[in-house]
Amino acid sequence: MNDGPLIVQSDKTLLLEVDHERADDCRKAIAPFAELERSPEHIHTYRLTPLGLWNARAAGHDAEQVVDTLLEYSRYAVPHALLVDVAETMARYGRLRLEKHPIHGLVLVSNDRPVLEEVLRAKKVAGMIGERIDPALPDHWAVVVHGSERGNLKQALLKLGWPAEDYAGYVDGEAHPIFLDESEWQLRSYQREAADSFWHGGSGVVVLPCGAGKTLVGAAAMAEAKATTLILVTNTVSARQWKDELVRRTTLTADEIGEYSGSVKEIRPVTIATYQVLTTKRKGVYPHLELLDARDWGLIVYDEVHLLPAPIFRMTADLQARRRLGLTATLVREDGREGDVFSLIGPKRYDAPWKDIEAQGWIAPADCVEVRVTLPSSERLTYATAEPEERYRLASCTHHKISVVESLVASHPGQPTLVIGQYIEQLDELAAALDAPVIKGETSVKERQRLFDAFRSGEVGLLVVSKVANFSIDLPSAEVAIQVSGSYGSRQEEAQRLGRLLRPKSEGKTAHFYTIVSRDTVDADFAANRQRFLAEQGYAYRIVDAEDVGA
Amino acid sequence: MATTGHRTLADQLRSWSDERLSRLLRERPDLATPAPHDSGQLASRAATRSSVLRALDQLTRFELCVLDALVVVGQTSREGLAEVVRATPSAVLEAADRLVDLVLAWESTQGLRPLSTVAEALPPGSPGTSGLHPVSPEAPAPAVVRRMLDELSPAARGLLDHVLASGGTATSGTARQTVLPEDAETPAEELLARRLLLPRGGAGVVLPGEVGIALRGGRTTADPVDEPPAVATSAREPSLVDRAAAGAAFEAVRRVELVLDQWGLHPPTALRSGGLGVRDLRATAVDLHVDEPTAALLVEVASAAGLLSTAAAPDGTPCWIPTDAFDRWTAAPTAERWLTLVRAWLDSPRMSGLVGGRDPAGKVWNALAPELASPHQVEARRMALDALRTLPVGEVLATGTGVPSVVAQLEWRRPRRPRTRADQVVWALDEATALGVSALGGLASYAATLLDDRGDDAAAALAALLPPPVDHVLLQADLTAIAPGPLESQLARRLQLVADVESRGGATVYRFTPESVRRAFDTGWTAAEVHDFVGSVSRTPVPQPLSYLVDDTARTFGTIRVGHAEAFLRADDDTALTELLHHPKAGTLGLRRIAPTVLVSSTPLDVLLPRLRDLGVAPVVEAAYGTVHVARPDLLRARTPKEQRGRSVAAARETARVAQVVTAIRAGDRAESGRPAQATTTLSPSGSMAALREAIEAGESVLIGYVDNHGTSTDRLVDPVALEGGTLTAHDHRSDDTRTFAVHRITTVRAVPADA
Repeated sequence: MNDGPLIVQSDKTLLLEVDHERADDCRKAIAPFAELERSPEHIHTYRLTPLGLWNARAAGHDAEQVVDTLLEYSRYAVPHALLVDVAETMARYGRLRLEKHPIHGLVLVSNDRPVLEEVLRAKKVAGMIGERIDPALPDHWAVVVHGSERGNLKQALLKLGWPAEDYAGYVDGEAHPIFLDESEWQLRSYQREAADSFWHGGSGVVVLPCGAGKTLVGAAAMAEAKATTLILVTNTVSARQWKDELVRRTTLTADEIGEYSGSVKEIRPVTIATYQVLTTKRKGVYPHLELLDARDWGLIVYDEVHLLPAPIFRMTADLQARRRLGLTATLVREDGREGDVFSLIGPKRYDAPWKDIEAQGWIAPADCVEVRVTLPSSERLTYATAEPEERYRLASCTHHKISVVESLVASHPGQPTLVIGQYIEQLDELAAALDAPVIKGETSVKERQRLFDAFRSGEVGLLVVSKVANFSIDLPSAEVAIQVSGSYGSRQEEAQRLGRLLRPKSEGKTAHFYTIVSRDTVDADFAANRQRFLAEQGYAYRIVDAEDVGA
Repeated sequence: MATTGHRTLADQLRSWSDERLSRLLRERPDLATPAPHDSGQLASRAATRSSVLRALDQLTRFELCVLDALVVVGQTSREGLAEVVRATPSAVLEAADRLVDLVLAWESTQGLRPLSTVAEALPPGSPGTSGLHPVSPEAPAPAVVRRMLDELSPAARGLLDHVLASGGTATSGTARQTVLPEDAETPAEELLARRLLLPRGGAGVVLPGEVGIALRGGRTTADPVDEPPAVATSAREPSLVDRAAAGAAFEAVRRVELVLDQWGLHPPTALRSGGLGVRDLRATAVDLHVDEPTAALLVEVASAAGLLSTAAAPDGTPCWIPTDAFDRWTAAPTAERWLTLVRAWLDSPRMSGLVGGRDPAGKVWNALAPELASPHQVEARRMALDALRTLPVGEVLATGTGVPSVVAQLEWRRPRRPRTRADQVVWALDEATALGVSALGGLASYAATLLDDRGDDAAAALAALLPPPVDHVLLQADLTAIAPGPLESQLARRLQLVADVESRGGATVYRFTPESVRRAFDTGWTAAEVHDFVGSVSRTPVPQPLSYLVDDTARTFGTIRVGHAEAFLRADDDTALTELLHHPKAGTLGLRRIAPTVLVSSTPLDVLLPRLRDLGVAPVVEAAYGTVHVARPDLLRARTPKEQRGRSVAAARETARVAQVVTAIRAGDRAESGRPAQATTTLSPSGSMAALREAIEAGESVLIGYVDNHGTSTDRLVDPVALEGGTLTAHDHRSDDTRTFAVHRITTVRAVPADA
């Protein structure tokens, strides 16, 4: 028996004992190929997935290294079937390659005839390929691929289990000088590493926790590309923040940056567009699609890639010749389309564990508390007899929560506080009770900007916000967040909301994250789901009863 | 050897010691059932075709070669036999002894001779045969044959070689069959003239055995026959083999426990044909994280070990349910559990390797289907394991070539039957790997001990290799508990009650959910007990959310009470109910008050109603309202099948049975010898069969009483040739012709003294 920190389970999970003396070495060794699933206090769980193994292949690791690592650190005998499976899965990546051919353009090449024949016979692939050609390489076979199908083919091949390696290269795009202006600040080391590994990999996804400065990774990538750039973001506020940040951190001026949203339609060397405007459909067509061809873009940046809507995926399939950078805090997608991100944007190029960055002091530590309120009997009766689709709203909008919010706000005097909720009515009530401004969907962009600025400067100490504030709004001063309702059990929403708080604080203060849930209702069930995500990220939380709050 | 020979086979058997006879009956068990009357019948039975075929199946290729040589030579001394077989003489003599022991050959007064049925049972081309025809009756001396071969023209010699190579028979075509050597015009006539080819009815000619032997240099075969094929091996550290095998053994035991635990709660339906449905097997395989063949093996082994059986589920459908032996099994340490499984596997005739394949009719073989057994499987498995055991220390089967070489060697050891031997051997090796008996192509050291029948030592050796059980878990804030190794069995069971298992393997991941905690409350735990248990098994502080979860679940537990009642009594007047409750004669009605105006009774309505009327109240039946049944999902258990209750009993029974048969035969012989000589003239049907077979073996004439088609009874002097399918083929002295006689018309059989 080997005294290693790792236990390899037959269901392809890897358990890493954190307190073991070799745990750190082991973590570094398995990180390239195993996906971290949970990182609670004692034992971290990693999972071996085909995508993870292929990511490792894309990063230049081979099956032998993976097997050696598992054998070296494993405490017990490693199931033989698992090792065989790892080797087989990894051998599948790169059997097929997409390459540029001087005469035929894009070609699919393989030195494994049976595999090539297998995929060529697949129905899904049939429409994307042309005639067979002689690849002028011994023992290689090739087939012409229609240029427009590069992305679709990659997607289809991934589904068939034979992911193709893309060697077809990128267009340079229209050159545009962009430099980082590092006179007053410095790019953090992990941001530099992330930008570098993206640039060497060609295209791909960078995973960094909220508040770790993903915008700057984007800016660094633009400075490498020195070409016209299209940035896709989730909403208008976020677009403005990107613009401000770029003006501040790079040599770009405000005139060089255009905004393409519902209200403004500017196309400039650097254009920031929202997902929403691109996916607007009129009379069955997407009228704003031409934006993608409006310029010869050299780089496309996808902010919050885990939220990328399905139509954007389809459009991205046609943009395979351009460099693509995905930025996200989590690759978890509620719709399970991680495979599309892998095949269309690219493999994961950089990943830093949340806790590591917190330990370096770049994001603030947080104290998570769940507060449980009991519904009064009249509300319980209403709840019990309500239609299932009404139940969540009824449970999460109980009036009891308002008094709890009041006492929580009172217990953090002088600390900038956000109250976050899902239901507008509830938010309005809260705003009235707390005498605080509210930001919701109908609030004008100008008003939003004003309130956010006021909050940042400390003029306003308490904001009630709806889910519009979930993403990409930089409120570094927020120290307390109280969520009263959410989008059911969405795990990534939980991560985003916590992320609001994690921007580094002055004097190393701890952030406070409260969730108020109604006991014995679906609200509590959904909360359990979200809490589990936090616990798995290593954020231990406490549960207290509403009566004990402020005591 | 003429001096020690016997007149008949029966005489030979009579002369054998009890011990030798027992050995025969053990090796050819078909002879003992039903117990033969006497040695005569035993000899007769040993000579039947079907019994001979069975006996031949147990011979190695070498022994078959020796037997074939004996058939070719006909009747010879042991030394003569050793001369014609291309092998070391001592090996040949040993093989000959075995043939005699198995009664495939016997020692007549003229020397060793094969049973007449043996020749038919060894058609040319079957394994071990040389393709030679028997030596002709007036065979010239070997030297003469060699001289005649030397005289042949090259063309004739070529022709002869060709005939030998193509099976020893040919047609003479236009060649004259009777011709003098000097008149011979063609190579064929040359051969016929020298009697190197013998005419055999019509235009056929046959190459007699003595010529074939001469052509092959005085032996029946051209190549040596006593060397079994070697096994391909490569070097491997024995400790590595042991470690890998122990890992597999641990997994196999864990998986059997898992699947049976699962089936104790949700038993899969047994098919009408007795097997396990394809879908259930697939679901099991997914549950266990193994492929379907391995899942099939595990359930087959569980069933063979008596841990699994069919029984009716509560709704009456037959299901596969763990037996009560399973409960005892789970309480044992891992190594002992492994021992139980592997012992059952070693003795099981089940062919789980077929599962998922299709039978000749195209029907899918289901796991646990009754017809999925073969008597040869046990033998094939033992032989495969023995092949592994005989490998030198530090050597394992070579990757790729190792298994085929084992198959080749075993086909040498048992060349005749069954045809599926190669498959069976491959299955056996695969199954051994899956069960942790072998790993990486080598037998684990502890498994070798087991094959030596020292099971307890094997279990102890395996236990030393297994990861030591741990007695604690690590609790985490995401409500999981992780046991960083195999948990002690009792602790694991308790923990399984309070938490759900999420991931298994070397370690186990448990998750606490409100449902799992409630399950513990359901079985009588209190919140304090859960807190204590969780606190005592954890090496780390109990996270606050977990304590909260337990308390929160306890808060809602039992707020609604459910009970069992046969009837209820309701009245608006609660004094009337109080009166009834305290009525001196109402004590037996089992009345209980659950609300001021409601009583419940444990007495069924049809009894309660007249009794209430007796008490002077006038009840009205309110509605035919059903009673509520509360049933905790109980673990189902089937009875252990009988044959599992005692393994050693079976062996003892077998020994006793054989001894009893031997005694019976002896008694028959004594009765036979004590009977007056005249009485043997009228024979029972089986007696006449025995007498006829004896005559066939001895080549003697007998006088039979025969009733012909017209009902006329005649006595005929015949030389019996063959006895099969109810007819006797015999040379009839009266008609001087070979004729067939219906056995049921033969009234008497009398031996005729040779000089008569």
